[in-house]
Amino acid sequence: MSAATSARLTEAELRAQEKAARRAERERQKRIARDEAAERKRSEKAGFANVNNPRRSTLMTILCAIFAVYCLFPFVYLAINATKTQADFTSTFGLGFGKTFALWDNIATVFTYQNGIFGRWLVNTLIYVVVGAGGATLLAIMGGYALAKFRFPGRKAVFAVIIGSISVPGIALAVPQFLLFAKLGLTNTPWAMIIPSLISPFGLYLMWIFSEQAVPTELLEAARVDGASEFRTFWTISLPLLAPGIVTTALFTIVATWNNYFLPLIMLKDADWYPLTIGLNQWKDQASTAGGQAIQNLVITGSLITIIPLVIAFLCLQKYWQSGLAAGAVKE
Amino acid sequence: MSPQIISAQPMISGKTATSSAISFKTINQHSKTARDNKHKADWRGWKFMWPFAAVFVFVFIIPIVYAVYISFFKKQMIGGTKFVGFDNYAKLMSDMQFWSSVGRVALFTVVQVPIMLFLAAAMALAIDSMKLHGTKFFRISTFLPYAVPAVVSTLIWGFMYGAKYGLVRSFNDLFGTNLDVMVPSVLLISIGNIVTWEFVGYNMLIFYSSLSTIPHSLYEAASIDGASEWQIVKSIKLPELKGSLAITVIFSIIGSFQLFNEPSILQNMVPGNAITTYYTPNMYAYNLSFSGNQSNYAAALAIVMAVITMAIAYAVQLNSMKEQMK
Amino acid sequence: MRNAKKAVAAMAAITTLVGLAACGNSSTAKVDTDTANAKGEIVFWGWGNGIKETIDAFEKANPNITVKYSSTGTAADTATALQNAIAAGKGAPDVIMLEDATVPQFVVDGSVIDLSQFGADKFADDFAAGPWAKMLQEGKPYALPIDSSPEVFFYNKATFDKAGVDGESIKTWDDYYEAAKKVRALGGDYYITNSIDYQPFLAQAWQAGAQPFKVDGENITINMNDKGLQQYVAFQQKLIDEDLINPKITNWSDDWYRSLGDGTTATLSIGAWMPTDLETGAAAGKGNWRVAQLPQWTDGEEASSEDGGSSLAITAQSKNTAAAYKFAEFLTHGDGAKVMADHGTFPATKKLLEDPSFQSEKNEYFGRQEVNKVLAEAAERKVSKFQYLPYNSFAQSKYGDDVVPAFQGKTTLKDALAKYAKTLADYGTDQGYTVSNQ
Repeated sequence: MSAATSARLTEAELRAQEKAARRAERERQKRIARDEAAERKRSEKAGFANVNNPRRSTLMTILCAIFAVYCLFPFVYLAINATKTQADFTSTFGLGFGKTFALWDNIATVFTYQNGIFGRWLVNTLIYVVVGAGGATLLAIMGGYALAKFRFPGRKAVFAVIIGSISVPGIALAVPQFLLFAKLGLTNTPWAMIIPSLISPFGLYLMWIFSEQAVPTELLEAARVDGASEFRTFWTISLPLLAPGIVTTALFTIVATWNNYFLPLIMLKDADWYPLTIGLNQWKDQASTAGGQAIQNLVITGSLITIIPLVIAFLCLQKYWQSGLAAGAVKE
Repeated sequence: MSPQIISAQPMISGKTATSSAISFKTINQHSKTARDNKHKADWRGWKFMWPFAAVFVFVFIIPIVYAVYISFFKKQMIGGTKFVGFDNYAKLMSDMQFWSSVGRVALFTVVQVPIMLFLAAAMALAIDSMKLHGTKFFRISTFLPYAVPAVVSTLIWGFMYGAKYGLVRSFNDLFGTNLDVMVPSVLLISIGNIVTWEFVGYNMLIFYSSLSTIPHSLYEAASIDGASEWQIVKSIKLPELKGSLAITVIFSIIGSFQLFNEPSILQNMVPGNAITTYYTPNMYAYNLSFSGNQSNYAAALAIVMAVITMAIAYAVQLNSMKEQMK
Repeated sequence: MRNAKKAVAAMAAITTLVGLAACGNSSTAKVDTDTANAKGEIVFWGWGNGIKETIDAFEKANPNITVKYSSTGTAADTATALQNAIAAGKGAPDVIMLEDATVPQFVVDGSVIDLSQFGADKFADDFAAGPWAKMLQEGKPYALPIDSSPEVFFYNKATFDKAGVDGESIKTWDDYYEAAKKVRALGGDYYITNSIDYQPFLAQAWQAGAQPFKVDGENITINMNDKGLQQYVAFQQKLIDEDLINPKITNWSDDWYRSLGDGTTATLSIGAWMPTDLETGAAAGKGNWRVAQLPQWTDGEEASSEDGGSSLAITAQSKNTAAAYKFAEFLTHGDGAKVMADHGTFPATKKLLEDPSFQSEKNEYFGRQEVNKVLAEAAERKVSKFQYLPYNSFAQSKYGDDVVPAFQGKTTLKDALAKYAKTLADYGTDQGYTVSNQ
């Protein structure tokens, strides 16, 4: 059949054929994914990745265990010291328990100190994470998708501009950023925390690479031929395919927002809007202020409480985040 | 991605499509039309790009433009603000405190980044090899430190470093040594250790993820050919890592050149002046801006640092990344 | 085309914003001195204990005024935040807590207002001499003192007992030197004190009669080698040379608190605000610590000086100065001062300092010593004239770079101070002052 023949086909026929082809393609993709997953599972169950190498290595496990100790050791310190009173904290050995076991007292005090402001900080942080990290993820998805699937003017410059911009020392930008936000009346509002959180260069990169691989251009073209708008195509076709990558990107943006420190320190001077990191740092500073009340036990316990939600998030999302990365990650 | 689609292309160009490939043909004709009209710009991408771009302009570009602008001025407590042209830049060129801080982070980058990335890659290979007992445990424990805010992790390590009350003291008591990791000569290593601890998991995850994209058929083919484990690592896995190496190196270089949190928090715990106000370029900028009322000079410093960082990042890796981006 | 227009519009927006940011001059609101009819909301930035309770008391007494308080961290953080708000031209609070030494730099750029407009100058005799003197610029009060902070001498009696030193008999710095040797003889980590911080350094030089900074409008004289400093520097150098000062512990670190708790750092010459920090930071030292007057250079003298201390100022940006002043007056001079004192602030008003029930309070941490009596006596002692630089934040940040190496034995204190003087002079010149460095 020649090109001339196909051009003579009616539009309805064309569309029907395209749909069929698209369906076939989707099914084929699913099949491949199923096969790969099954294959992985098989090899994982059998305990080896390579056909000719069936044994687990104790030596390697020991080496990695040493590294894991290095990684986890500071958490042990944190957990032990969260059980101490302020007096024990400054007088007993760092890796030994104190004279009194004060963990529950400390937790209670953390949530009641200064009229329970820690709870407020926790809620603030959650809001910032939902709106800030959520927004950052969305912007990264859209941006990455655009970079991967469209050849728009300025596309090639985007990443160079981003790399260039984040090379500027953030500290020195804080003053201009502060002035800009102050002019617009955004300092001391949640927006001062949320807006800067919306940018995740690494998230954008990840979604770019991921979109390139996970969304076949042909699918998009077919949808366009069907007359779907770009956004409809994005929502109904691309987004579901991107789901695993989105979880991964979200993890990175959540951690970034949760641990954001420097900019809010400059932008927020209203304790009611502090995120946890700023609040905790303020408590820490009480010990180094003339006439201040040292409450390191609360700082330590508060830090532990701050980390827990993230750890839980990691553990819960571990499955998704792995498959997300596996399917979409950085490829040459 | 899929071999079928790739093979569809020559069919179109050769105009020998069979009926089963007809839809692809049509599709590709569409995209071909788009390609033919290349001179007419395709702005559709901006429909998706603009939200990111807009926020980015607001958060980064405008402040950078403003920083460039104020870097040409000088503000004095007596005499107010006046235009000084390139004076701030000229002053910076001969500012030994600035250059010593640049030298310090450069040294830090050269030593710490390779070690961290090596550890991350080794850990990624180990976890990917499936030869470990409890793979999941190692994956999560390596990544966990990344979840700790820099403020908290520096406090923890700062305590452990204490030669008087910390773990270093216990170590000295135990082995009769006289170790002190907070003295100026080894302090940079101590800081490097904190940074490595914080970010090794983050980089491990990036490496690990790129390893998991290798199709299993490749391993099978290799083992049928009789390749040893080591040969597989060398000829399949390491080349795969090279791709993700570009991005991790760039982000690590930028991160090290902007070293700030760890030394500035340690500053209060380290005896003497081991950590000066100009220990890293970022600390210097901070002190110029916030204790010294010299935001203009700090802005000039920021611009120069950005140029240096970019030049290095570019020289080291950006080229290979550009290839990757097409 | 449409997009080209968009690009133009975007550029225009950028230019406008840059322009906006560029014209960041502080807009000075009209000063309202009608405190009798003050009402509305005011914003207050500060730190420390007892603030919440004081605000409650204030709002009860003045139902028309609400105070919105934000704890802004350390003194340095608060000063930085004010500086940022000044640069932005808005966003400053109405009332701000400042470390006394940083007040001059905000007076110079017109960021805080003269309180004599409200009649604050008539309080001159109500406050202790030391803190009040620091509030005045060109004879006018620009802030009201929250606390007095005379330099006093804290010592660990348990350590002294072990070393065979009688703390009460230390009257001069020579006595101190003898005690230092005995404490060091205990071996290990026992030292009379640790390397000296910026604030205590200035306070102790001040006590020796030094006047390192003289500020007269746009003219500054820096002299790190006057008679008082020579005396002080020679003495410190002797302590350093004989390994009598611990160079490995820095103020405010965890190690510092631990060493104060276990008594290895045996004494502190520091401001009278220290008891709260000791009680909470070095809880393990409970019962061991005592306080006394600072050792003197000549036996029988009663020279004192100020270390730190904080005060309340009203910003030029405040749109409700009447209510702001009313609150500042309440907290420092009115009924609020008592609430603050009850929460551990060492008061600045003579009325509270001389209150018999205050003075006779026995402090458990200090082995039931009547701590307030000693501190109050120090607060009311005469102080010699002393000025801070109008760029105190800078001076404080550079102290560590230039002076601290001397405590590590890397250079002599004299050379270090000469270097420091040059750093400060260069900076002053750069900022447009006429500086003479002697």
